[in-house]
Amino acid sequence: MKVSFKLNGRSVKWDCEANESLRDALRRKGITSVRNGCDGEGSCGLCAVILDGRPVNSCQILALQAEGCELATVEQQSRERKLSIVQRALVDASCVQCGYCTPAVALAVQDLLERSKDPSEEEIRDALSGTLCRCTGYEQFYAAVRIASKRLTDPGYADPAGPEFRKDLRHVGKDREKVDAAALALGEKAFVEDRVEAGACHLAMLRSPHAHAWIKSIDTAEAEAMSGVVEVLTYLNCPGAVYTTAGQGFPEPSPYDQRMFSKKLRHVGDRVAAVLAESPEEAAAALKAIKVEYEVLKPVLSIAQAKAAGAPVVHSGAVSYVVGEAPAGTSVEGDGRDDPIIYQFPLHADPHHNLAASVADGIGDIEKGFAEADVVIERKYKGNRVQCTPMEPHVVYAKIDSGRLVIHASTQVPWHLRRIVATAVGISENKVRVIKERVGGGFGAKQDIVLEDVVGYLAWKTGRSVFWRYSREEEFVASRTRHVMEVTVKLGAKRDGTLTAILMRLDADTGPYGQHCLTVPMNAISKSLPLLLCDNARFEVKSYYTNLSPAGAYQGYGAPKGSFALQTALAELAAELGLDQIDMIEKNRVRSGARIEILKSLGEGRPGAAVTLGECGLGEMLDRGMKAFAWRGPRPESSDRDWRLGRGAVIIQQGSGLPGLDSANAELRLLRDGTVLMLSGGADLGTGLDTLTSKAAAEILGLEMGDVAVISGDTDITPFDKGAYASSGTFFSGNAAVRAAEDLRDKIIATAALILGEDPADLKIAHRGMVKGKKGEISLARLAHMSTQGEGHGELVGFGNFKTEHAAFPYGAHFVQVAVNTRTGEVRLDRYHAYQDCGTPINPALAIGQIYGGVLKAIGHSLYEEMLYDDNGRCINANFLDYKIPTINEIPKDFHVELVPVADEVGPFGGKSVSEIALNGAAPAISIAIHDAVGAWLREWPFTSERVLRAMGKL
Amino acid sequence: MNGIVDYTRPSSLAEALEQKAANPGAAWLAGGTGILAGDSRPRPAALIDVGRLLPRAIRMADGELLMGAGASFQDIADCDLVPASLREAALTMVNRNTRNRATIGGNLGANKSCASLIPLLLVLDAKLIVEGGKKTRLGAAEWLADRSGLVLEAAIASDPGRRSSYLRWARSSCDLSVLTVAVSCIVTSAGLSSLRIAMGGLASHARRFGELEALFEGMALPPREAIEAASAPLFNPIDDLRASAAFKRLRAATLLADAMHAAAGSALAASSPAATPGVRQ
Ligand SMILES: Cc1cc2nc3c(=O)[nH]c(=O)nc-3n(C[C@H](O)[C@H](O)[C@H](O)COP(=O)(O)OP(=O)(O)OC[C@H]3O[C@@H](n4cnc5c(N)ncnc54)[C@H](O)[C@@H]3O)c2cc1C
Ligand code: FES
Ligand code: FES
Repeated sequence: MKVSFKLNGRSVKWDCEANESLRDALRRKGITSVRNGCDGEGSCGLCAVILDGRPVNSCQILALQAEGCELATVEQQSRERKLSIVQRALVDASCVQCGYCTPAVALAVQDLLERSKDPSEEEIRDALSGTLCRCTGYEQFYAAVRIASKRLTDPGYADPAGPEFRKDLRHVGKDREKVDAAALALGEKAFVEDRVEAGACHLAMLRSPHAHAWIKSIDTAEAEAMSGVVEVLTYLNCPGAVYTTAGQGFPEPSPYDQRMFSKKLRHVGDRVAAVLAESPEEAAAALKAIKVEYEVLKPVLSIAQAKAAGAPVVHSGAVSYVVGEAPAGTSVEGDGRDDPIIYQFPLHADPHHNLAASVADGIGDIEKGFAEADVVIERKYKGNRVQCTPMEPHVVYAKIDSGRLVIHASTQVPWHLRRIVATAVGISENKVRVIKERVGGGFGAKQDIVLEDVVGYLAWKTGRSVFWRYSREEEFVASRTRHVMEVTVKLGAKRDGTLTAILMRLDADTGPYGQHCLTVPMNAISKSLPLLLCDNARFEVKSYYTNLSPAGAYQGYGAPKGSFALQTALAELAAELGLDQIDMIEKNRVRSGARIEILKSLGEGRPGAAVTLGECGLGEMLDRGMKAFAWRGPRPESSDRDWRLGRGAVIIQQGSGLPGLDSANAELRLLRDGTVLMLSGGADLGTGLDTLTSKAAAEILGLEMGDVAVISGDTDITPFDKGAYASSGTFFSGNAAVRAAEDLRDKIIATAALILGEDPADLKIAHRGMVKGKKGEISLARLAHMSTQGEGHGELVGFGNFKTEHAAFPYGAHFVQVAVNTRTGEVRLDRYHAYQDCGTPINPALAIGQIYGGVLKAIGHSLYEEMLYDDNGRCINANFLDYKIPTINEIPKDFHVELVPVADEVGPFGGKSVSEIALNGAAPAISIAIHDAVGAWLREWPFTSERVLRAMGKL
Repeated sequence: MNGIVDYTRPSSLAEALEQKAANPGAAWLAGGTGILAGDSRPRPAALIDVGRLLPRAIRMADGELLMGAGASFQDIADCDLVPASLREAALTMVNRNTRNRATIGGNLGANKSCASLIPLLLVLDAKLIVEGGKKTRLGAAEWLADRSGLVLEAAIASDPGRRSSYLRWARSSCDLSVLTVAVSCIVTSAGLSSLRIAMGGLASHARRFGELEALFEGMALPPREAIEAASAPLFNPIDDLRASAAFKRLRAATLLADAMHAAAGSALAASSPAATPGVRQ
């Protein structure tokens, strides 16, 4: 049917099917700014358009309903790619992280300002109430609206600058525009889904309805014969290699326990068969024609069930080790039916008893420590399964170009992706090119190769271009989630609060496959235990296979759960001893110059070593928090008899990449006009890494930000980088960029010295793009020109590699004030302050935004989020209607982030990592504050009203 | 989107009703936030788009407040003529984009257990003006029993002295309501009179709770604890992913106590849990 309407002021007449949504029609016609985050449920608002003057979700409107209407998308805001007032304000207020939500936010703010020129906070909340953003924590949206509102009357208005650092530097420590923000705010093509060409085939996956089953028989003949079907792939015709989907450095500390398709199905949502067809509808229809008979097995649905004697076995294939031997007493012989499991090296595993990996170590004498204690407590804490929920789900587009496989990916790990796909497909790495597009949120889930193996294989096999985008439900059940962890903490202390012994026993649920099975749970220990100085400490970590949704990396990488357990236990001990919880922290915390002995037993992938800490900012952070919360003053009291107020504080830490294991590289080219091109291996996920590498070049070469362009994460063009994980972006990829810039600077000086006939020691780079000596000067443009001429010495290119043995720890102190309703169990977050040290904040407002976003995710995990399963292992809330992530309404009334920098001697310009650590504070701080309010300890997150009432004994 | 093969946009109400008579399986399409929600959920094969035919105005006529069935939740929230409790109820649909599309008619038509407007329409004794159904004017409860015909308007008679309140419980601001309660009453020196209570989330549809009304009718407003103790045993919710039955029972009782106090204008009502930012309970 035909439909005519006005789109962004121009009349259009389109042919649409009766069942086509307005969102799909707009995207089909190339309006890329209209996105899809919830598959039409109406929860995400990313498909927003303004219809006859009102913002609405275009997924719940039929295209045909637009007849005669006036429709505006964000494309209407800008003329000739110039940002509108609203878009400019969003960029200036650092609201564009991954940018997947930005066009929708821009429309909501436009509508708000048309209704209210100077909106209140409540009006701002209301305007953005229907738009989900998983990156920003929403707080900076308030500033954006204020800026836009002021510029309506005063176009030149500039908000007062935020905090600035490193007065000696031009760009570093100052806010500069995020390099990709403008394009994202304009809604231009940027993401994988925007790259799909006409004629691409679509993939659809038949998924297991059972948590644990064998495929008895599978018949794809009818599906293969259906119209539009190009290929059907099952365990019978897929490559046989086993691999891990974990995008970690090779050799990975994760077992190779997954085939592209297996005869054994290990979770609801596991792959049964893929259909490649010429349209999504044909692919979906063919899925229905596949006939499968299952032999259903008893599933393993909890850690307790996985451990139980006689438990069903999730992996029963032959176990082998590339290096080393199987632990004594474990069985390695397979059942002859299941896929093999290959460990790159021993992880103290016993897969035939569902133990995917384990580790135990410690320092001192734990028994002696407990014997010396005046008080000993033992408590058990549980963190449930949560989903990363990037607004852009997993998505990939692969095609064959000049005989090579080209993969447009939304990934955190382009090089690991290349390696894993080459292995899975069975081709050499030089046949594969991975182009990391803008990533609409990763948060860890995109550290795994979740769909690129099968898409790469089908593109390679058929020669067709292949597009696959997860539905939101698939994102929940077949992407990656945060491991369930049960942590038992035993603490011994003297009456004055001095710890004498710490024991942490941690059991994790890795789900059906072992990606990150050791490293995530281990990180729960290694980013919590070193915060406390205690001579006797021990940990025991076990990671179990179950038949629940796959676990993997999630921002914080296990640390939030370790932090929850240890920090809450410390507060419980303080309560037991009648001490103030901050006094307890003070008594035991790590401090400047401390020797951290426990790091001996916490080596990541290699033997550890004790470290003597340089300066530690925790004291200053605690002081600032205590002052802001008037900690030593009278307790805050609620004037409402139903509500009680309580406060909590925690200290947190993270790392900055994996010293000794990982490395990053960058290349910087001087172009003919004196501008430069940064080729960074780093994978910017919306975190601002590309801005950081640009800054490094601009700072070191005396340029403006606009003089630097960045290409990143393209395996054909940019040099190797380990990828964006383990908080390594700033420290590793940033440092590689610094080194590339320094290398180019040195080459520029050397070449200029020859041309000017001066001693290199007398030459300096000067702003903007000049080399100045004692006698003369030359511009970078002239230098570049001369270098590339027949008589020159060749193009000037700097190369930087970064690797290190140095561990840089960012620290933080988070303070919370909650109100708890004693009748209903409701928890209200009144105040949340995050004091954090990220070393030199390279781009302060972006760093602050990362922290807001991290904290709000952790608030979501602490109060609302939990994947729920029925008795058959099926997730029953795999959508945004049932699984609630925070909206702008959930942010605390007083939400405050403050940077307390302690420069690191190795970090780029003194910088350290910033975002992951932000997730470690909310759960323990809120739990402690709830106890402070109502006297009940919440030891399982999320702290729902129901759990609060139960803990209070009211239910 | 699945299913839909036949979409029509009739140019008059008469034509719409003719189309429906010719194809009784076809469904009315108003805002679409219910019937079109979820890309992969099954849809009716035929939709009759009445979105632009339904009256949208909200007005006073002959001592009645008349709200067009096509009025959106946002229209209700924005209109001063509408009782405060109903405006608040509309705003508990926190998502503004959805509020701009979702209509009163659709709220009635979908008749979900936790519909935001239905409990208030029940306790304000709203009458519906209907075309193509069994009657052209009937009570909301009666219409909801079989939902035949197209609702054109909802009418609420002026009832000076009647107070009303609405509260809901949801897990977070943008969650669908798990429990809803609406109360209306006249407060006399003798106590609560003509008390009406409707609740949602406790059965498959929201409904009036005559047994509770009878319990408290004519009494002075009891303390909240007494309301909770008396009402909780009467609730029989089910366990679901949002909460256990035990929690819902307790929470429904606290909601009712708060709503009764709010309606009766008690100072105690100020302590309702509405203090959560943005969550209008
Ligand atoms: C994100 C989101 C949040 C939501 N939150 C809430 C909430 O907080 N509270 C709440 O109550 N609901 C909520 N809903 C559910 C739903 O959207 C509303 O109940 C809404 O009122 C439906 O109105 P509509 O105009 O969109 O109806 P439609 O989807 O067009 O229709 C719904 C049903 O009503 C019928 N119908 C429509 N108009 C009429 C009429 N005039 N006469 C007779 N039958 C009719 C239709 O045939 C259909 O069966 C939410 C939905 C979404 C997507
Ligand atoms: S896709 Fe439309 S609201 Fe999410
Ligand atoms: S910036 Fe909002 S979803 Fe990423």
